[in-house]
Amino acid sequence: MTRGRINRRQALKLMGAMGAGPFLAAGGRIPPAAAGGSAGRVVVVGGGFGGATLAKYLKRFDPAVEVTLVEPSRRHFTCPFSNLYLGGLYEFDALGHGYEELVRRYGVQVIHSMADDVDADARTVRLAGGETLSWDRLVLSPGIDIRWGELEGYTRAAAEKAPHAWQAGPQTHLLKKQLEAMEDGGTFILVAPENPFRCPPGPYERVAMVANYFKSHKPRSKILLLDAKDNFSKQGLFLDGWRHNYGEMIEWVGRSHDGGVVRVDADRLEVETEFGTLHQASVLNVVPPQRAGFIAQRAGVTDASGWVPVEPRTFASRKVPGVYVIGDATEAAPMPKSGFCANAQGKVTAAAIVADLAGVDGPDPSWANTCYSTVAPGYGISVAGVYGVREGHIAELAGGVSPADADAAFRRREAEYAVAWYRAITQDTWGTA
Amino acid sequence: MMSRRMVKSAMWLVGGVLLLISPLSPAWAAAPPWERVEAVRAVLGGETPVPGGIRLDLPLVSQDGSAVPLTVEVESPMTVDDHVEAIHLFSTGNPTPEIAVIRLTPEAGRARVTMRVRLNESQSVVAVARTNTGRFHAVARDVRVTVSGCLARGNDFDDASFMLARVRAPDRFSPGQPGEVLTLINHPMETGLRQNGDGNLIPQRIIHRVVAEVNGSAVMEAELHRSVAANPYLRFFVAPTAGGTLAVRWDEDGGESTVQEVPLRLP
Repeated sequence: MTRGRINRRQALKLMGAMGAGPFLAAGGRIPPAAAGGSAGRVVVVGGGFGGATLAKYLKRFDPAVEVTLVEPSRRHFTCPFSNLYLGGLYEFDALGHGYEELVRRYGVQVIHSMADDVDADARTVRLAGGETLSWDRLVLSPGIDIRWGELEGYTRAAAEKAPHAWQAGPQTHLLKKQLEAMEDGGTFILVAPENPFRCPPGPYERVAMVANYFKSHKPRSKILLLDAKDNFSKQGLFLDGWRHNYGEMIEWVGRSHDGGVVRVDADRLEVETEFGTLHQASVLNVVPPQRAGFIAQRAGVTDASGWVPVEPRTFASRKVPGVYVIGDATEAAPMPKSGFCANAQGKVTAAAIVADLAGVDGPDPSWANTCYSTVAPGYGISVAGVYGVREGHIAELAGGVSPADADAAFRRREAEYAVAWYRAITQDTWGTA
Repeated sequence: MMSRRMVKSAMWLVGGVLLLISPLSPAWAAAPPWERVEAVRAVLGGETPVPGGIRLDLPLVSQDGSAVPLTVEVESPMTVDDHVEAIHLFSTGNPTPEIAVIRLTPEAGRARVTMRVRLNESQSVVAVARTNTGRFHAVARDVRVTVSGCLARGNDFDDASFMLARVRAPDRFSPGQPGEVLTLINHPMETGLRQNGDGNLIPQRIIHRVVAEVNGSAVMEAELHRSVAANPYLRFFVAPTAGGTLAVRWDEDGGESTVQEVPLRLP
């Protein structure tokens, strides 16, 4: 696609190319743009995979839409590939992505501030500095918040001793430092939560990456994964991959073998399981229970589960008109809470909003997801899915995981695809590979 | 050979006939789920449940239908004169409707049970409670079941842990005050509906009974069916009036049993 503005007709054509049959069929007359030459004001809260993608694609579909992105950080550090940083396979700095392309190439206004509150009746967002932004449509892509205290003993203060590292940044550095400071022969314990949580394969890739670090630096160390579930993403592939690359270093204990942790003592680096077993860690990594990011709760779009119910076709909130929510904050199962899904949802919802502002039906949605996991250098596995709407719900239409019996060359290629995937999706989202 | 249009008409016709005679008519659909399931009606025996008094907690959306957490609680003083005798749990979307029957005595102290169940698809789950005075309470909850693409699961049972059982009771009870007991046993809960590699059905083999006794008298007895998740997990209450022993026994279809005992400590 060439640079510069595309007109609304081009935008509609583009959406038609994305499979927007009903959009064109129902198209009819496009209402004139709102006063002042704007096709509407959209405020996007959150500049991760979901929000940054959505802001960009809104401008691509209709440059006449005024798009403002609210994001506190000048650079977003991604959770995907942060495990590879822990494993010594990727530089932390390469996980950071800025907003220059959104501003310069696409004309998105980026405000580096925190959204504090939403007034859905007045259609405004209040920022931390007190400033208020007006919107015709609001998009929240806030990611996750930790449910502090839901797991007994796991508070903000505890996370400074037993990091979660489930939001990339200082927590990731803290965990890396603790692993580096650990003596050879120590025990790394990872506590994994019940569903749903951000990045279903994440805990299992993380222990593999920690094992990769231990293998070359602290080979007498052990890894214990205490899990609140009996089944996990790509389970067979992970179990085989762990054994193949690290022998007996990683022990996984599922919930039915008393792997469910009910109490954390961050001072003693000790955890207690449901049936009373105490485990002592040298480094303790707790992936805690989660919910939709703070601003989703302020906006009133969450339900009793703490997540956000959405209309499947558009990801419009089921509770608050004019508000759309995408990414990890939503209840989009069977789509997983992944960066790839947030990116795909960003595009589909951008199309839905442009259509909504124009007063026409949006395209039939289709989303895709691939989760690559790096088990070891040159050893990758993946799960892929294609999703659509069936009978009013999101459904998986096709998908699968890497073959169980793949040879070394296949695993090596998947590890290479993982890197290529990361570069492609960050390029698509922020313009920075 | 029929044209596509003819096939379509024929289907409509069949559909129309079904509408007349099947329980898919609108009046039937509006009835509460406990009136639509024969097994539930059999438990009610013609009685109408009194409104309220029972709560059923399930996730709105479950990403793993093989083990969906379920808690049911009935408001009851749990006295000799007025207590819950049985809680029946039903699935409306599984191949067979019965999930479990939990029988309680006043010594349970609290009519609340937590377990994990198998749900084949999105559906309503029904709980019916009967008191010693012949009163019924009923509740239904809808659950949407999805299996996330990132959650494709393995299907292995670790044979080495077969019938390995665990019990945890509170460290200390106050006399007559209910405290929650956690139990877990490793068992595949083979449904009898699954095929082996040769296409033959694997026979049903499940834990069909869990009994908890406080100092020799039964406090809770659970009758489990194939819709209980593998590795049956059961939480319930006991309210001992004196110290002693809690014994939990599990019986399974293959004829094996196991007992776990834990001390009950009172001040």
